[in-house]
Formats: sequence, structure tokens, C-alpha cells
Amino acid sequence: MNPLLRVEKLEVVYGRAITSIQGISLEAHKGEIVALLGTNGAGKSTTLRAISGFLGLDDARVTEGAIHFKDNSLANRPPYLITKLGIVLVPERDKVFPNLSVVENLSAPVATAGANRKRLEEMAFTFFPKLAELRGRTAGLLSGGERQMLALASALVCGPELLLVDELSLGLAPVVVEDLAQRLVEIRDKLGITILLVEQNATVALSIADRGYVLENGRVVLDGDAARLKSHGDIQEFYLGGAGERRSYRDVKQYRRSRRWYG
Amino acid sequence: MQLAINIAVLTAIYALIACGYVLIYRVSRVLNLAHGELMMLSAYLLITTASLFSKTPFIALGAAIFLSLCVGVLVYLFLMRRMTGEMVLAAVLTTVALGVLLRGLVVLIWSAQQQNPAQALGWVNHSLPVFGGRISAAGAALIATTALVYVGLFLFLRFSRYGIRMRAAGQNPLLAAQRGISLHVIYALAWGLSTLTGALAGILISLDSGLDSTMVLIGLKAFPAALVGGLDSLVGALLGSLIIAAAEVLMIYYVDALLSDVVPFLVLILMLVFRPWGLFGTREELDRV
Repeated sequence: MNPLLRVEKLEVVYGRAITSIQGISLEAHKGEIVALLGTNGAGKSTTLRAISGFLGLDDARVTEGAIHFKDNSLANRPPYLITKLGIVLVPERDKVFPNLSVVENLSAPVATAGANRKRLEEMAFTFFPKLAELRGRTAGLLSGGERQMLALASALVCGPELLLVDELSLGLAPVVVEDLAQRLVEIRDKLGITILLVEQNATVALSIADRGYVLENGRVVLDGDAARLKSHGDIQEFYLGGAGERRSYRDVKQYRRSRRWYG
Repeated sequence: MQLAINIAVLTAIYALIACGYVLIYRVSRVLNLAHGELMMLSAYLLITTASLFSKTPFIALGAAIFLSLCVGVLVYLFLMRRMTGEMVLAAVLTTVALGVLLRGLVVLIWSAQQQNPAQALGWVNHSLPVFGGRISAAGAALIATTALVYVGLFLFLRFSRYGIRMRAAGQNPLLAAQRGISLHVIYALAWGLSTLTGALAGILISLDSGLDSTMVLIGLKAFPAALVGGLDSLVGALLGSLIIAAAEVLMIYYVDALLSDVVPFLVLILMLVFRPWGLFGTREELDRV
């Protein structure tokens, strides 16, 4: 079966000078939750932003490679057209409109063509019942967890087929993260929405993901299904904090790191 | 009493013009420095439509307003669209250039002579008695129009879906685009609405007191009104207009009529020194003023 999203050897250049990701390839099949792992600056967010589209203000371009979604090529399309095709991003920062109320935040998005808007808005409230209590509240006054809920809900109102979530867990308490992660699984199970999840917190990501990719310095260095990644030695050591015995700095240079280069 | 009426009319004029500045600034953070010129262009368009439809003044009026709306949308489509999502300064400078261009064009097409559209429409600007003072018919129309426009804008921005989208795009254009909102549609809408309100102002002023190229100055004087209120707030624009108008009328009455063109900018400078973000503006906009 053809994957829903296929990214091939993607290269993104910022400001015509700085190559931020170099040759990333990945796939997401319908109904999957796919995790993108990696440290700061590995290129996770850039990958998501490239898929969801840049504005002129970003001064970024996809210079090589391709992004296919269903039968469409997406590279360098404006964000609102990509959203209309059914890909919706929940960004890392500035994810709600702070001066608009909760209800207004949910009525601002444009739904994909043919979607039943009323049903989508009701659905957003069934997945996040807490938002119903906060209807009239100004979004800027919400707590971090509530804000993330609102961001996910307003993304759902767009009627996506593929949901891109940037840093679900950032700055949130573990209980809240656990709850939101379960909500993502529910969204996938009930609506059949495919989810591409970028996370620094590998434990959370791998607990709900079916497959994962590990990025480093703008390249994919590891991929596989979640169980395999979880048991992988390097992942255990670098991302899950499960190193065996402490090592002395003298041994640092002897890391064996299996790498796979694409492109 | 006459003083209060004068202040009310001048407030209405400034407020009607200022809301055009506010609309565009609020949505795209661009200062439209060609607003006064666009307003003047609308008044001159009325001269032309008045000669075309001399029998039916209301059709002439409607046609002029409709043409102005088109001008606003066209300005966005052919000029400002390239600036969407780019640096704001480039866009502001473009509006300056547009203003200069329009000023030249207007003189070329309609000549620099004083014109009188009310005469062309066959209307007499009666003076009506109210509360022991007098107000011109066009002045009364100005106050009524401004009230209608502000109520309309408020309802539109608060309750209609496109109004909410306009506010959303003004706060965070990137997120708005990611939520499927086409910034081009929103910005074109803002430009259209802005020139529409500007056109109403320009036409009514020209009906009241005739028309020549010094009308640009009135547009320029409404700019302090928008700024004093805080550039991104409609309530602020209303209050700012009241302050500027009151200061101006009182100065003329008690001190010297020659001060009328200076006072708004004096108030503006005082405001910029003590409260640069305006009465109702968002404080974080400080760096952009």
C-alpha cells in the first residue's frame, strides 16, 4: 500500500545559506502514529515545518527532495493550501490565538473541503470536554495543558487526515503529558487520523508510537518499529536514560553508534 | 453648544478615517500611509460619477463608493500582495510611494482646482438647527455614518467568522495560515474595508466643504488620532479622535485658527513621549511605533 505521507531526501535551507536538514526520508502510513526523535537542533521541527509549509517571513526553502501526500507534491506550497489538503500542524510555540476566546479559537480555522464543520467542532469538545467548561475564557489565560488541548482541538476542527504534533510534552507535567498522549491514541483509533509526533521525550513518544525515526544533525540515523527502537542500545543510552554502568570520560570516544545514511 | 457640535463633527471625521488605519495595522502590522490619498481619490471618483449619473445622485454616490472598494482590493492584489509574510517596513514604504503617486495622478486627471461635488450632485448643504447650535446636513450625515461604521465593524469583528479570522491573522499570521486561513483573502478584505470607510469619509467631507488636494492633510491629521488611541484598537481610535478633535476645536476658538494644523501633531508628540503604545494599544507593539 502506498504510504499516506512520503518524504524523500528532503533538504531545507534557511536564509539561502544554512542547511538545516540534509536528506531526510520518512514515511507515514494511514492510521499510524509515527515518532520523530532527536535532540535539540536535530532538525525535527524543521522537518514538520517543511511538510506544513513555510511563509516568506521564515526565509526557508525546500531545496531538494520531495514531499508526497496522497497524490500531491507539497514542497514549497503555502501553509493554508497544505492545511486544505488535510495536513494540520500543532506547532511547538504560539499554538493558540492568545487574545481570542476558546470558542473563537475553534471557529477561526478553515475546515477541509467537504468536511462537516459543525460535527468537527462538536467532536473537538467530545475529545477535550474540559474546553467546554472554558468556552468563554481568553486563550492567553489558559494553563499550558489547557492550551495544548485547545491547540489539538483547533487542529481537529480543520478536519485533518494527517496531524503533525510538535513537542506534545514541552513544559507540561508528566500526568498531563500522559493524558494528552492517550488522547492522541484515541484520536487515531476513533477518527483514523495519522499522527506524526515530534518529541524530545522519547519515553512518551515510543509508548504510543507504532514506528519511529531518530534524527541527528539533520539526518536520519535510526528507524524501525517502536519496540525495536526501545530495545536498541543507543536509544536506551541516549534517549531513555537507561545506561548501564557509568562510564569515565576516557571512554567517551569509543561510542559505537550504528548509523544509517540516507541519500 | 456650537463648540460641542463642532467637536462632534470633527471627531466623526477623524474617527471614520482613523478606523481605516487601525483595520490595516491590526491585521497586517502595516501602516497605510497612503490612506489620506486613497480617501481623496474616492472623493474625486465621486466628481466623475456625478457627471456620469447627474440625474440620480444616489447611484453616483453608490458607484463612487463601490469603485473605491475596488481600488482598495486592487491595491492589495497588485501592490501589497507581494509583501504578505515579508518585512513590514518594505510594505510601509510601498504605501508612501503609492501616496505620492496618487497625489500626482489626482492633479493630472482632475486638475488642482477646488471642486464641489455637492453642486455636481445638485444637493444643497442645508444648515440644520440642533440644541441651540447649527450643524450642516453633511456634518450630521458624517456623525451618523461614523456611528454606523463603528457598530458594524464591532459586530463584524466580534461575531462573524471572517471577523474572527481577521483578528486571528492579526495576532499570529503563521498560525492562521497553518489553520487554513488564506492570508491573501484576509488582507484583501482588510484593505477593501479600510478604503471603503476612507471613501465614506472622503466623500462626506467633500460634500461638506468642497474638494481640493489639501484633503490629504485631513487624512494625515487623523493619523495622530489613530496613534493616540493605540494603533490596534477601534475603541482607542474613537477616543483618540475625540481628544484630537477637542484639542483642535478649542485651540482654534480660544487661541488662534492658525494652530489647527499643528495641534494634532503636538498631541501626538506628547503621546509618543509619555505613552508611546497609545491609550488602548498593546504594549508589546512598542518597538514598531
